[in-house]
Amino acid sequence: MSVAWQQSTHGVQRRKEQINQVTARAFVVSIVLATLLMGGYLALGAANVRLSNEVWSLHNAMAQIQRDNSRLETEIARLSSIPVLQVRSVALGFAPAESIDYLRLGTP
Amino acid sequence: MRLITVILVIFLVPILGRLVWLQVIARAEWKEENDLLLDRPYGLPAPPPGVIMDRNGDLLVGNSPTYVVGAEVALVGDALAAAQELAPLLGRDVAGLQADLSVTDRRWVRLAWAVSGEAGKRLEDIKADKWYWLTLEPTWERYYAEGDLASHTIGFSNDAGYGYGVEAFHHRLIKPQPAMAQGSVDAASEPFPDELAQGKLRAFAGTDLRLTIDRTIQAFVQGELSRALAEYGAYGGTILVMNPRTGEILAVASSPAYDPARQSQYPESQRNLFVDPSISVPYEPGSVFKVITAAAAVDSGRIGRDWSYFDSGVLEYGGVVIRNSDRQAHGTQDLQGLLSSSLNVGAATLTTQVLGADLFYRYVRAFGFGQLTGVDLTAEVAGFVHLPTDWDWTDSTLATNSFGQGIAVTPLQMVTAVSALANHGTMMAPYVVAERRYPDGSVVPTTPRALGQPISRETADYIAELMGHNVADRYDKARVPGYGMAGKSGTAQIPVSGGYDPVEVVTSFIGFGPLPEPEFVILVKLDRPQIEPYLRWGTQTAAPVFQSVAARLFVLLGIAPTEAVGEQ
Repeated sequence: MSVAWQQSTHGVQRRKEQINQVTARAFVVSIVLATLLMGGYLALGAANVRLSNEVWSLHNAMAQIQRDNSRLETEIARLSSIPVLQVRSVALGFAPAESIDYLRLGTP
Repeated sequence: MRLITVILVIFLVPILGRLVWLQVIARAEWKEENDLLLDRPYGLPAPPPGVIMDRNGDLLVGNSPTYVVGAEVALVGDALAAAQELAPLLGRDVAGLQADLSVTDRRWVRLAWAVSGEAGKRLEDIKADKWYWLTLEPTWERYYAEGDLASHTIGFSNDAGYGYGVEAFHHRLIKPQPAMAQGSVDAASEPFPDELAQGKLRAFAGTDLRLTIDRTIQAFVQGELSRALAEYGAYGGTILVMNPRTGEILAVASSPAYDPARQSQYPESQRNLFVDPSISVPYEPGSVFKVITAAAAVDSGRIGRDWSYFDSGVLEYGGVVIRNSDRQAHGTQDLQGLLSSSLNVGAATLTTQVLGADLFYRYVRAFGFGQLTGVDLTAEVAGFVHLPTDWDWTDSTLATNSFGQGIAVTPLQMVTAVSALANHGTMMAPYVVAERRYPDGSVVPTTPRALGQPISRETADYIAELMGHNVADRYDKARVPGYGMAGKSGTAQIPVSGGYDPVEVVTSFIGFGPLPEPEFVILVKLDRPQIEPYLRWGTQTAAPVFQSVAARLFVLLGIAPTEAVGEQ
């Protein structure tokens, strides 16, 4: 009679099966834990990718805003530059002050 | 069970073996291949360089967003069609563009350097629509809001930092620090997430500078200089305005000048236009230097207020004959007479018979001549002062230096020295950057710094008083009604090989006001005025310009009159 046969028909075999059940449970638990860990890792990685893309987009958006800001700054500077102001002042009827006199007030 | 174990082992062992091979044994080889494929420089669009503002915060130099446009030529299909559509956007001719798009010896060609923001946006649309082979690199171009206003002071610089003016002096501050890094990138050249997580990308814009220059004063001064050059036919000139209490330069206009926006287009033969005459081109100051000689003599204690000498019209010293400019003898003269009549013989008497070489040159050095002022502008020169220890110094040098001949100074040195007379003897270091505004928001103002105290307060006030009488009694063309002004004119011959030009002169006028607490020093210098020779004097040419600038400064700076009109 083979050992395998003995294990399947005798008491020894039942004790062995009990041990295998413990091992199997431990194995299943470890598989579940490993799956959870890997799932957590994947979730974390995915979140990292998503956030990184967001950071990259924000970096680029910031650069674009900086460029728009500079463009507006230069446009304001052009519109308020002395030659432009002079032309606008003349158009509005202003003239350079040729003679400036101060009114001196005596002490009361 | 055992069977399963055996099967698992049969499958797992090769996998584990392969992992060990890839990760340990052949790691270096695979890492190298990975780096070749994925490891690239990546970065964000360059942040803007620092801007330059005037003292009131008005923009002088800003940044226009532009693009460098290129093409992956191997991917271009119909080069002619592309050239025809792109040419107007890039500002190029179709034939040239087609030739660039048809090259075969390179993978990428640059099509245009600085394409404006609007054209760039249209190009981005075209790239997204059909021509993905277009490349657009965002970059910046300097924008000069006021055109050629203060071009010498603002200057420019190349990528290596060489150039002129504030731009070159503060190149490392103004230049931005681009956000560039090396690491793993994807097909779109965007970094992998773990690259970004390492926080390698940190872009810093350039530092903004607020200058001491007032754009309104600067514009007026530039206009006055242009008007004077036209009126007197002068070849060039400089007008410099400084606050003697702080050393702040409020305006400095020089001609010839240039347009900084077009500086790269100037031919090699015109590159000398970039040299700033106010700090880089020394000249012989002539009679305005007599105020320095007089101050030295008084401060040394060797003459008092009652000092006088007999002016015979001629003084022979060291083998040269010194004569007054009018070739006249003026009899007994005091210090006031010496300055008012601008007597060469009197000035030479002070250096040769009162001060002596050691004492005179000690004062010349104390006033900063022959040394850099340390102004924050590129390419300042020290001028030329011949000292008794120099091989080419002779006794006659002591005599001629007394009235500003045989000594070369820059306009800025002259203004800085005279500012000591206007500031009760304390000579302030000139500067043009009032404030640095760092990208982190911190602001660092420049603290005014004294260069020294070449003369006592009493001496400075006394010389200022004499210069005040000068203007009140002699220089009617320099007077500003309602304000006490001090000044001195100068008419200097121009040294040429073997002597002095018999005809050409440099005329100048330096002065300050309002007395007794001056708020500005003005130097007007005109090179080679081409008017009637008998009118080629500082009093005839530079003094009226000084008057015009001073009168406007009182208005622009909001300085109320210090005297009743008609009091002078």
